[in-house]
Amino acid sequence: MEQTVQNEKTGKLLEVKDLRVSFFTPAGEVKAVSGISYDLDYDEVMGIVGESGSGKSQEAYSIMGLLQSPGKVIGGSITFEGRDVLSFGKNEMAAFRGSEVAMIFQNPMTCLNPVYTVGNQLIEALRAHDKKISKAAAAKRAMEMLELVGINNVQKRMKQYPHEFSGGMRQRVMIAMGLICHPKLLIADEPTTALDVTIQAQILELMKSLQKKTHMGIIFITHNLGVVAEICDKVSVMYAGKIVEQGPVDDIFYKPGHPYTVGLLRSMPRVDAESYERLIPIEGTPVDMLNPPEGCPFAPRCEHAMKICLQKMPPYVELGGNHRSACWLRVQEQLEREKAAGTAPEAGAAPAAENEQEEVTGRE
Amino acid sequence: MAEKKKKAVLGSLQPNVDPLLELNSLTAADFAPASSDEKEDFIQQRKSVSYWADAWRRLRKNVVAMVALGVIVLLVLFAFVGPLLVPYTNTGFNQGAENLYPWHYSLEAQRAYAEATAAQDPDEAVEAARAEAEANGEEFTSKDAALIRAQIRAGGSEKYEGMTEAQIYKELGYSLQPFGYSLDELERIEAGEKVFPHIFGTDRYGRDILVRTMIATRVSMIIGLAAALIVLIIGSIYGSISGFFGGTVDVVMQRIVDVIYSLPDVLIILLISTAMSPHVTQFITDHQGNPLAEFFKTVGPNLIGMFIAFACLYWVGLSRIIRGQILTLKKQEYVTAARALGASSGRIIKRHLLPNCIGQIVATTCLQIPSAIFTESFMSFLGVGVLAPMTSLGSMCSDALGGINTYPYRLIIPAIIISVMILAFNLFGDGLRDALDPRLKK
Amino acid sequence: MAKYIVKRVVMAIITILVVACVTFVLMMSVPGSPFNDEKITPEQRAMMEEKYGLDDPLPAQMMRYLGGIITRGDFGVSLKMQKDRPVLDIITEKFPLSASIGVVALCWAICLGIPLGCLAAYNRGKWIDSLLRVICTLGVSMPGFVVATFLLMLFCNDGGPFKFLGINVIFNPTEDGWLAYLMPCLALGLYPMCYIARLTRSSMLDALGQDYIKTARAKGLMTPKIIFKHALRNAVIPVITYLGPLTAFTLVGGFVVETVYTIPGLGRYLVQSVQNRDYFIIMGTTIFLATLVVIMNLVVDILYRVVDPRIDLTKGE
Repeated sequence: MEQTVQNEKTGKLLEVKDLRVSFFTPAGEVKAVSGISYDLDYDEVMGIVGESGSGKSQEAYSIMGLLQSPGKVIGGSITFEGRDVLSFGKNEMAAFRGSEVAMIFQNPMTCLNPVYTVGNQLIEALRAHDKKISKAAAAKRAMEMLELVGINNVQKRMKQYPHEFSGGMRQRVMIAMGLICHPKLLIADEPTTALDVTIQAQILELMKSLQKKTHMGIIFITHNLGVVAEICDKVSVMYAGKIVEQGPVDDIFYKPGHPYTVGLLRSMPRVDAESYERLIPIEGTPVDMLNPPEGCPFAPRCEHAMKICLQKMPPYVELGGNHRSACWLRVQEQLEREKAAGTAPEAGAAPAAENEQEEVTGRE
Repeated sequence: MAEKKKKAVLGSLQPNVDPLLELNSLTAADFAPASSDEKEDFIQQRKSVSYWADAWRRLRKNVVAMVALGVIVLLVLFAFVGPLLVPYTNTGFNQGAENLYPWHYSLEAQRAYAEATAAQDPDEAVEAARAEAEANGEEFTSKDAALIRAQIRAGGSEKYEGMTEAQIYKELGYSLQPFGYSLDELERIEAGEKVFPHIFGTDRYGRDILVRTMIATRVSMIIGLAAALIVLIIGSIYGSISGFFGGTVDVVMQRIVDVIYSLPDVLIILLISTAMSPHVTQFITDHQGNPLAEFFKTVGPNLIGMFIAFACLYWVGLSRIIRGQILTLKKQEYVTAARALGASSGRIIKRHLLPNCIGQIVATTCLQIPSAIFTESFMSFLGVGVLAPMTSLGSMCSDALGGINTYPYRLIIPAIIISVMILAFNLFGDGLRDALDPRLKK
Repeated sequence: MAKYIVKRVVMAIITILVVACVTFVLMMSVPGSPFNDEKITPEQRAMMEEKYGLDDPLPAQMMRYLGGIITRGDFGVSLKMQKDRPVLDIITEKFPLSASIGVVALCWAICLGIPLGCLAAYNRGKWIDSLLRVICTLGVSMPGFVVATFLLMLFCNDGGPFKFLGINVIFNPTEDGWLAYLMPCLALGLYPMCYIARLTRSSMLDALGQDYIKTARAKGLMTPKIIFKHALRNAVIPVITYLGPLTAFTLVGGFVVETVYTIPGLGRYLVQSVQNRDYFIIMGTTIFLATLVVIMNLVVDILYRVVDPRIDLTKGE
């Protein structure tokens, strides 16, 4: 109840707190998502960046209740407009999906059912939530949506099968299908990854303009920082099931606080790069999620790795302006700064930090 | 305090965060750079296992497949070791032991039964009395006969009238004993001789059904294995050639496959083995003493015809799988690399392509075994498969069909064995396919 | 589409011709005369062979035989079983009974197999799935004659649980009415039913794992709609492709069933003619049944392209 009050007060669209998702495989428990928290305002676009396997898609699926067995949410909370999504029953969840939150997926080639016409699938999405709407009205609305996402000749297109559409066109159909019920939140799971670069730009442009028109919140999951810069207001960087850095998009790009983010930025081609600058890949491979290590999961690939990194997971350090990062380097900097300021840390530091943590949450 | 504000930690974002908050306890040593060795040790690498070890591990976890494997092993022992332990042969007629059930009544019970029923039969009593009278030189009149009959009728033995054999035995207080023995054999046992029981009974010629079932199972297994081998050889050669060369070769070869694929295979096998067996018979008579002809003679002309039919038809499925695999693999870089290094086509097929589809080949071949056994039993049942003196589970069932009401065990035993055999091979083949499919690797 | 159909029809005709030629060559290559077993003098035998044209060179015989089939539907005449009766006449007499049993068997197999497969797929990993899997694997592992004879024991044996139905051991529709068809149809349909259930289960699981199911769930559809609208339509496509081989199986399975129940159908007749080596009947029936199967495969191929819109009908391949 407390949370509900808080939500109404602060007007958050979505709040995720300490979410944990595990996959119970025969080989053992895989902690795909181990305790992530973030929130999203109305009319805000957040990017979740990370490499494949970092748990970013699973995290999105758990919002939609789409986790497939053996995946399970084992802890934390998801609050959507003050309602606890994880407590929804089967029917509530079905009513919630599609009408309030929509999702579009990575591969438009396989996400449309090949044996039904595009029109059929669009109308179905609408009628699933609006039982009273007539077929003709639903068809009219579906055609409007297709026009909205930039598909021409909609009369004919409605009667065509998905295989008669190109990849970019199918992704447009997917977007139209997602938006047909006016959702308040759109989760886009790598919507441009499977597309050609030119089509990618078109789809991004389309999503941007639609966001401006509809003022919906968007969670944009991607591994491509370029896409993030294009569309997002704020960014969460995920690594091995944890958010390692979180902050406004400009801060992430210009003041990255985590070596992994730095690595991502360095491996991204830039138009304004000097010709002698090389793209620097991140060495090594991600950790085995079946036996996650004790310390910072990025440590073995990190060029700045310290002894402490291998022993303990770093705490989050506020870098100002809602920008925070989980890295021992930042902790070290801070401790040094404190020393330099002459205020030696006292024994009461820990409780103080906890108090402030509440303060921070309140401030958000 | 402004300093501390910056140091704020979002406790809820972190599990077991309390110890971490004691940042003041950290020493400078903690912030020393980690060596690359330390980084290496950090990740607990999982042991890498070979493809076969991994497949075996997955197979072992599959309970159904392992039970099926156990059943197959038992059946192999039954078929190949069993006949050595049983002192009967599949063709030997055991005189006096015809039509035995797989159960018997003890000698004592049979004698009691004979007495009970003998007393009941007035004709026999009359005959016995007449013989006795004649032996003594006395006259035996019809009046005497009528007297004896009346005596018997009054003697109370009519309580057995209208009862079945089993009911009489029950009345006498005797129950069934397992395994079949003939009267003669029971007498020999009484005399101290050791007689091996007819565990499954005997057929109408007195042949031991246990041994016949063992031999028939052996025949089925050999046929299954041989057919699978034939399919394996022809299918993989045809498929790899077709897939590897592509182009016109592939088109022509695939049209042939299409033709064969759309034929009803069992019908064609029926046709081919019908047409081939006279050829084989002639070959045997023309080449007396030739080892091949001798081999054909032992196997039987119909079976050879069946093998030829398997060789003509059954490889199609396997060749398609291998072709598909090779078409996929052909596009892989390492094949291009091998080709660039000047490897010959044969070498590329052998060294690079086949090892990559070996899993599917093994699984498909394994599933060929039950399919061949199935077809063989079908043909033998129809009387166009395995011929006497060889025996087959199919022909045993077919022979038993006439006596299905009186001697149901003759049908049930081979029918259950063949069903269990095919089931076990099917389940094991399925398990093998799952275990060998690298896509299912976890 | 038209081009595709033409291409497939041509292929089918070639297949049938190949079957006819192979059948003829195989049968005619059998050493010795078909009349060897009969107690006749060499002169009589020569006369017989001349009468049936068996003394002509093989290619001439073949041309005559194939020509006869194509122009007049003349499959030759029976040599032994029903002397001099045209094979076509025998086929038209015997086939309808076999066909009616086969069709009924196929119908119940499909009508029960697909729902059972869906049920198993939907309850994947639960006890009902395991139970169905055991039953269906057993069903595809029992040879037809085992099923047929076990049914005989259930229905006709003294002490069989269904003895009260009073079905005759020998197929007798005039006395038993429709009950006479019960055992043959059950026996013939069990294997296809189990096979279809297995096939449906695996293709259903495949379909349920596809991305479009995720989309449908994300749209907020209810589970029954997802299963019956989105998954099933995709899952039945492989089942349709199996209908061709299924027809072949049912025809051949009929041999055993007709033999066990003494049904005067084409299958039993073919088996008898194989045992008696009545070559023209074997050839004629084989060609007839093979043609049927090839046509069925053709129909299924075309049907498959109609059901699955992914395949572009305007293109040849």
